[in-house]
Amino acid sequence: MRNLPFFEDTFDKCLKCNACVASCPVANTTLEFGGPKHLGPELKRLMDNQTIIDDKSIEYCTLCTTCDMSCPEGVHVSTLTAYAKAIHADMSGTKFRDWVLSNAEMVGKLASSFAPITNLAMGMKPVRKVMEWVMDIPSERQFPKYRFKNFNRIYKKKEAQTERKVAYFAGCSATYNAPEVAMSFIKVMEYNGIDVVKPDQKCCGVPMFANGKMKQGLKNANDNINSFLAYTRQGYDVVLTCTSCTMAFKKEYVSYLGTEEAKELASHVYDADEYLRILKENDELNMELAPMKERAGYYAPCHMKAQGIGNPAMDILELIPGYEIQDVGAGCCGQCGTFGFKTEKYDVSMKIGRPMAEAVKEVNANYTVTECGMCKNQLDQLTDKPVKHPMQILADAYERAN
Amino acid sequence: MGLTLETEVIVIGGGMTGAGVLRDLALRGLKAILVEQQDLGHGTSTRNHGLLHSGARYTVRDEEAAIESYRENLILKKTIPGSIEQTGGLFVKVPEDENSYVEKWLTSCKRVGIPVQEISVADALKQEPYLTKEIQAAFRVPDGAVDCFTMVVDVVADAVRHGAKVLTYHEVVDILTEQNRVKGVRVRDSFSGEEKEIYSQMVVNASGPWGTKLAQMAGIPLKIINNKGMLAIFSHRFNKQVINRLRLPGDADIFVPAHNVTIFGTTGINVEDPNDFSLDRQELEGMLAEGKKLIPTINEMRLIRAFSGSRPLYQEVAASDASGRNVTRGIALLDHYKRDGLDGLITITGGKLTTFRFMAEKTVDLVCEKLGVKAVCTTDQQAIPHRNAGEFFKNADIAPAAKNKLFNWAGTNAPKIESSLQESKVIVCECEQVTWAEIEAVLPEGGRFHLGDVRRRTRLGMGPCQGTFCNHRAAALAVEKKKATIGEAERAIHHAISERKKGMDVVATGETAKQLQLMETIYKVSLGMGEEDVQYV
Repeated sequence: MRNLPFFEDTFDKCLKCNACVASCPVANTTLEFGGPKHLGPELKRLMDNQTIIDDKSIEYCTLCTTCDMSCPEGVHVSTLTAYAKAIHADMSGTKFRDWVLSNAEMVGKLASSFAPITNLAMGMKPVRKVMEWVMDIPSERQFPKYRFKNFNRIYKKKEAQTERKVAYFAGCSATYNAPEVAMSFIKVMEYNGIDVVKPDQKCCGVPMFANGKMKQGLKNANDNINSFLAYTRQGYDVVLTCTSCTMAFKKEYVSYLGTEEAKELASHVYDADEYLRILKENDELNMELAPMKERAGYYAPCHMKAQGIGNPAMDILELIPGYEIQDVGAGCCGQCGTFGFKTEKYDVSMKIGRPMAEAVKEVNANYTVTECGMCKNQLDQLTDKPVKHPMQILADAYERAN
Repeated sequence: MGLTLETEVIVIGGGMTGAGVLRDLALRGLKAILVEQQDLGHGTSTRNHGLLHSGARYTVRDEEAAIESYRENLILKKTIPGSIEQTGGLFVKVPEDENSYVEKWLTSCKRVGIPVQEISVADALKQEPYLTKEIQAAFRVPDGAVDCFTMVVDVVADAVRHGAKVLTYHEVVDILTEQNRVKGVRVRDSFSGEEKEIYSQMVVNASGPWGTKLAQMAGIPLKIINNKGMLAIFSHRFNKQVINRLRLPGDADIFVPAHNVTIFGTTGINVEDPNDFSLDRQELEGMLAEGKKLIPTINEMRLIRAFSGSRPLYQEVAASDASGRNVTRGIALLDHYKRDGLDGLITITGGKLTTFRFMAEKTVDLVCEKLGVKAVCTTDQQAIPHRNAGEFFKNADIAPAAKNKLFNWAGTNAPKIESSLQESKVIVCECEQVTWAEIEAVLPEGGRFHLGDVRRRTRLGMGPCQGTFCNHRAAALAVEKKKATIGEAERAIHHAISERKKGMDVVATGETAKQLQLMETIYKVSLGMGEEDVQYV
């Protein structure tokens, strides 16, 4: 990984303005982190054709990509920090815990196979204490529940017959923890006369990138690219319900791999609400939505903001008659995928999450809407409002109308 | 009239040559004082590529210079290891370069004894991916990269360790003569305006492009041709090793990696004024057009600044052939007694950064001969302390990048820096990872806060932002730590910013134009520093 043929030269444009540092959720919370500018463009420049530098503080980068958005010069800051993570993991090794956390898919498979026991065990204090001692996973941290009837067991469609065809990438969270999100999405598509297939798929790689497992993550990336290209080349659109997976497909595969295949696939990838918004713009969207007298607060995950497509979830949910949705307008949740599951990051995770919890409280809606399973985990822990995925609400509105 | 000093030899000029002469004198046990009008190495010595020649560039045209360069290359690698990065160099043939030159070049390298190793085009492109895919041949030679900033400082410091004295910011205002004999110089302290007279048995004029001016003070004719060359700095180091065009040396055909940047040059235009450091956009564009033949993406890469310096060339005119020892075509050692009938004055000029030690040796040989001293030169054997930090900083709690810099930079200052790191871990210049501790270690005793001097000794402000964020930090810290008064700090900032701007203006397109805007906004708007010209020194 240290000698990866890595042709990322946007670091040259850095004006050192520190906009990325000022907007970084972690750098604003702890001084333990060297910050996105230093560990991104600055370090890359200092290492190019010279000694490779291993900076442990890169562990604090959550790859939330807020830095990329803040940069006025278009420096791919998070691509550079992802490589700094890879260098650190390669030179200093990774903890067993980080290996486990980065293998979200494997954990999902195992945990869901023994779901009742897993969930029970994860709720037991002594078990969690042991996990804290052995694995450095804080006992106070809530975990998402695993489902025995995971999405892989209940949905296997491989071919679509409709005019518009969707190849769905479910992601680990909707597969193992929240199959209801995946099923809601399929239902919403059904109401719009679109068949959804589930091509062979592997974890998108985001948890691997975040833990410096670049090689492994890129292997998954290439597998997913090959699997989904076979569909897009037959006219399928790739749609996802997890914002982190979507960002990986749209942006990270392209910037980490730089291959033509990655670029080709990225041009066919849509977030689920973004896709529905396109249907609406083309007058193809089924508007038979039952009125709902509910007030929701929308929490935008960092990886949604990073896609630069606005708030498609709000755009779509606002189409439900009587439905009220308001952006809670909060920054990063602090869970940040695997980050918030680590003992040494737990305090930072909680501290980052607090303003979000405050914002949710202030809006005081019936529930919170968000796309990201990991943001949901933090919302579940830090707020007393239920958390729903936009697809669940839409599926509900369609069902009630029929 | 202020102080009067006495010594055996006065060396005028704190560039590489003067530094070398001073150290050689000190090692041979002669008492010497070096006088320099500004800071050490502010002139030609730090206004060059920093290329440690293997000699391969000169073999065809000037075999003697090639022989000298290769010999000195080996000596400097051994004796000043802390200022030299043994990068190696590539000579690369592009389609425009003459085929016949390759054979000629290989033959003469062989004759001179410069080791040349041919590598495959594929290997060359793998090692240097920015090279044009059009290259037809590549050869590896033992070129290297010299940090001329550290080298001049370290050579002088070693001379001081051996008893020499140094007066920087002391301009020579007169050469004192008495009946066809130079007996000393009068210098003026640039800060206080106070004048001193220094008496000596010998004066060595090692002032490079300022040589003509000094000769005038002594009342003798001396024509130094000031051949100004322009160089440009890329914001990052895109090559591992020195890259040369395989052709007769010309303009814009060398890329030298220098720490975190790549230096590209050069041109050659004769100018009258040694203080002419002007920069011309057209000249730069000409360089880029030529450089593109080696590095095709040259126009897309960010330049952070350009600079220029004058090569002091000496060509004896036929009318006055009473020359001293014209050591080679490149090096001129003039005994003004033999040449002009003026005793006690020697001029050493011409030459190359790579051959400075040899120039110093020849000069001091002549000094010894004249003073009847029987001491031999040892600078080809005696090493200068390395720049690495040995066992220091292993446990320092600072960013690994800053630590990495200190490991390769701190040298003899390591104990001092390590102890002040206990008090302050502040990284002042982020681009180049310069800590306050390093800055503190190079501040001269008793004030004189000058950001340019700090920059040359620490790399403060040498990165892509060119001091946008660190000049004011360094100045503010200096005031806070009582190393400068508010007035000094303000003058230092003004001076530093205007110097940085000069170099940026000429390359200010794209990102550097934005950087410049950002810099102006920070200093003029945020910090409210006005346009008024604050005179420094």
